Amino acid sequence: MMSRIVTVAIGTALALAATIGDAGAQAFPNRPVQLMVAYPAGGSTDIAGRIVAAIAEKSLGQPIVVVNKGGAGGQVGWTELVRQKPDGYYIGFINLPATNTVILDPDRKAIFTEKDFTPIINQVLDPGIIWVRADSPFKTLQDLFDGAKKSPNTIRAATTGILSDDHLAILMAEEAAPGAIFRIVHLEGGAAQLKEIMAGNIDVAFDNVGGVVRRIASGEVRALAVMDTERSKFLPDVATTKELGYPTILSNSTRGIAGPKGMPEPVLGKLREVLKKAMDDPEHVNKLETQGLGLKIMVGEEYAKYFADTHERAKKYTEWARSRSHR
Amino acid sequence: MVDTFQHLLAGLTAAMSLQNLSFALIGCILGTLIGVLPGLGPAAGTAILIPLTFKLDPTGALIMLSAIYYGAMYGGTITSVLINVPGEAASVITCFDGYQMAKQGRGGTALGIAAIGSFIGGIVATIALIVVAPPLARLALSFGPPEFFALMLVGLCLITGLAGQSLLTGLVMAVLGLLIAMVGIDPVRGAPRFTLGIPSLYDGVGFIPVVMGLFGVAEILLTVEAPYREVIKTKLTSLLPSRAEWRRSLGAIARGTGIGFFLGLIPGVGAIIPTFVAYVVEKRVSKTPEKFGQGAIEGVAAPETANNAYANAAMIPLLTLGIPSSPTIAVLMGAFIINGLTPGPFLFKERPDLVWAVIASFMIGNVMLLILNLPFVGLWARLLRLPYQYVCVGTLLFCVIGAYSLQQSVFDIGVMIVFGIIGYALRKIDLPIAPLVLGLILGPFIEKSLRTSLEMSGGDFSIFFTRPLCLVLLLVAIAVLVGSLLRLPPPEVRKSSA
Repeated sequence: MMSRIVTVAIGTALALAATIGDAGAQAFPNRPVQLMVAYPAGGSTDIAGRIVAAIAEKSLGQPIVVVNKGGAGGQVGWTELVRQKPDGYYIGFINLPATNTVILDPDRKAIFTEKDFTPIINQVLDPGIIWVRADSPFKTLQDLFDGAKKSPNTIRAATTGILSDDHLAILMAEEAAPGAIFRIVHLEGGAAQLKEIMAGNIDVAFDNVGGVVRRIASGEVRALAVMDTERSKFLPDVATTKELGYPTILSNSTRGIAGPKGMPEPVLGKLREVLKKAMDDPEHVNKLETQGLGLKIMVGEEYAKYFADTHERAKKYTEWARSRSHR
Repeated sequence: MVDTFQHLLAGLTAAMSLQNLSFALIGCILGTLIGVLPGLGPAAGTAILIPLTFKLDPTGALIMLSAIYYGAMYGGTITSVLINVPGEAASVITCFDGYQMAKQGRGGTALGIAAIGSFIGGIVATIALIVVAPPLARLALSFGPPEFFALMLVGLCLITGLAGQSLLTGLVMAVLGLLIAMVGIDPVRGAPRFTLGIPSLYDGVGFIPVVMGLFGVAEILLTVEAPYREVIKTKLTSLLPSRAEWRRSLGAIARGTGIGFFLGLIPGVGAIIPTFVAYVVEKRVSKTPEKFGQGAIEGVAAPETANNAYANAAMIPLLTLGIPSSPTIAVLMGAFIINGLTPGPFLFKERPDLVWAVIASFMIGNVMLLILNLPFVGLWARLLRLPYQYVCVGTLLFCVIGAYSLQQSVFDIGVMIVFGIIGYALRKIDLPIAPLVLGLILGPFIEKSLRTSLEMSGGDFSIFFTRPLCLVLLLVAIAVLVGSLLRLPPPEVRKSSA
C-alpha cells in the first residue's frame, strides 16, 4: 500500500517536473491564440484568415480564435494589435499598403508607426487590375489614357476607398501617362464598384484581381491591364502594365500576419513554422485559389523587408494624394 | 414561364431531400438563436458559421446559410417584444409597439403576428423573385448615389414629420442623430472627426450599443423607478390575433410586403430602412395614428413583414446581377465563391439545378420558420410572467454581453450605458427617440451618397436636378415636409408618438 502511494507520489512529481520544464523551454502556446482581422466578418481577409486558422490550429495544439476588429479602414484593429503584449497570444492581419497609408497620412493620427509591428508571415498577394464594363469604348489601356488626356477630369475612376492600393494606383497611372487626369470617386469596396460600373455611374475601376477573375472569364467585364510585372495565373490572357509600356504602374494588396513589436524569438519561430505549414497545406492553397487569391508566402526577414519597401513606395503617393485639390 | 416552372419543381424536389431539409432546419434554429442574441447580427453570425459548411456540398451549404440568414431576421423580434432590446438592427422599430403590446399582456399576439407577417412577406417575395426578378433587378440598378441620397432624405423627412409633438422637436432629434453619426473617420477623406483622440471612436459610435441603451437600458431605469410594477400577465391562449386585430393587420402585412420587396431590390439599402419606411407609411395611412407607440398591432405587423420580404428580395440582385446588397448578403456571396460559384447572370445558366434548389429552399425555410416559431411563442410569452426584478437583471446582463460581443469591446458597453441614461432623460422630458435613431442610421448613408455624388459630378450640385428619378424623389421629400407642416394633427394626438 505504502509503495503504491510512493509510486503515485513519484509519478506525480515527475509529471509536474515535466510540465514545469516544458513551461520554461517551450510553454508557447498553453492557451488559445487570438488572430485579429481588421475588417468585419465575411470580407475576403476574414474568410482567408479563418481558413488558415482552422488548419494551423491543428499543428499549434491550441485553438486559434479569429477576432474581428473592423472599422476605420483597418485602423481600429491595428491600433488594438500594437497595444497587446508581444507574447504571441495576440497576432493579427496587416494589409499592405493600407496599413502603410494609415500611418503615412497625418490626418489619421494613428498611434502606431511601421516600427510597432513584428511581421511574421505573408499570406496573400493580390495584384491590382484595371477593368471596364464589357461595352465600354475603352478597349485597351492606351484608349483609356488617351481619353483621360483628351478630356481631363471627366473619366470617372473608382477606388475601393481613400488611400487604398487602388487610389495609389490611379495616381501611378496619372504619373506614368502625363496629362491624363481622372475624376476619382471613392467607393466602399468591390461590390460598390461593380454596381456603379454596371449602372453606368462609373467609367473605370481600379481594383484587385481576386474580386473580378470570374466576371472577366464570363465576359461581363473587360480587363485592360494587370498592374504587375508578370501575368496573373488566374488571367493568363490579360497583359500587364509592364508589357504595355508602363512599368511604373505596379500595384497590389497583400495580407499577412504580424504581432506587436518585441516578440521573443522562440515564440516567433513557433508561429512562423506553424503558419507556414498551414499555408503550404493543399487544402489552404485550393480554398484560396478558388477565390482567385494568389498566395505569396514571405516569412520573417523577407516579409519585414517587403513591409519596409512598401512603406517607402507608399510615402510618395500618399503625399501626392494629399496635395491634390480633390482627392 | 413553363421553363421556370419546371426548374422550380426540380428545385423543390432537390430541396425536399431529407439531407437538405435538415440543413434548412438546422439553419433556421441557429439563425433564430443569432437573432435573439443582441450584438451578434446576421452578418457576423453567418460569417462565423461559414466554416461549418465547408464540408457540405454547395447546395446544402447555401441552403443552410440562407436559412441562418432569414432565421436571424425573425429571431431579433423576440427580444424586441419581450424586453425592449432589439436582437438585431432590423428589429429596432418593433420595440415601439411590440414592447407596449407585451406590457398590455399582448406579447404573444405581437410575436404571433410577427411570425405570420414574416411568413407572408417571405413567401410573396420569393414568388416575386421567381417571376419578375431579372428585369426588376436591372431597373433597380438605376439607383445610383444621387438617387440614393434623395431616397434617404425622403425617409428622414417622413419620420421627422410624423414623430413627436411638433415638427420642430422631430427635426431637432433627427439632427442630433445625424450629429452623432458624424463621429468617427470621415468616409470620404479619411479624417477623424469628434473622436477626442479615443481610438474606439474612430469607427464612430456603434449603432447597436446605442439602440440597446436608448431602448433596453432606459426601459430598465424607468421601471426601476416604480419597482413594484405589476407582473405582465399574458394569456397563453391569446397567441393568435383576434378578428379585429386581423382586420387591422392584413393591410399592414400587404403594404409591408410591397415596401420590403421593392427596397430589397435596391442594392445598399440594408435591412433597417425598409422597417422604418413600413412603420411610417402604416402610421400615415392609419385612421388611428395616435395608437402607434401605444401597442398598435399594425406597428408590429408592417415592419416585421417588411424585413422578411426585404431579406428574400435582397437575394434578387445577388442571384441575377451578382451584386450583394447588404453586408449579410456579401457574406453569403463569399460562401458561394468559396464553393466555387460566382453569383450573377451566368450562374442561372451554368448551375440552374443549384440556384433553383436554393430558391425552393427559401420557401421551405419560410414554412419551417413559421412552424418552428408559433409553438415557441407561448414559451417566450411565459417569460413575461416572471417578476420584473428578475427580468431586469437578466435584461441588463443580456445587454452587456450583447454590446461586448459585437466587437469584443468594453468601450461599447460604456456607450450603451451612457445612451441608456440619455434615453431615460429623453423619455422623462418627452422628446421623441425615433427621429434620433433614424438620423443615426441614415447619417452615414446620406453623407456617403451625397459626397460620392459630388465626386461623380466633380463638385457640381446640378447632378441632383438633372437625373429625373433623383429630382422626383427630392420633390417627394419636400412635399412630405410641407405636408406634415400643413396637416398637423392636434397636439394631444401627436403626443403618443414614441
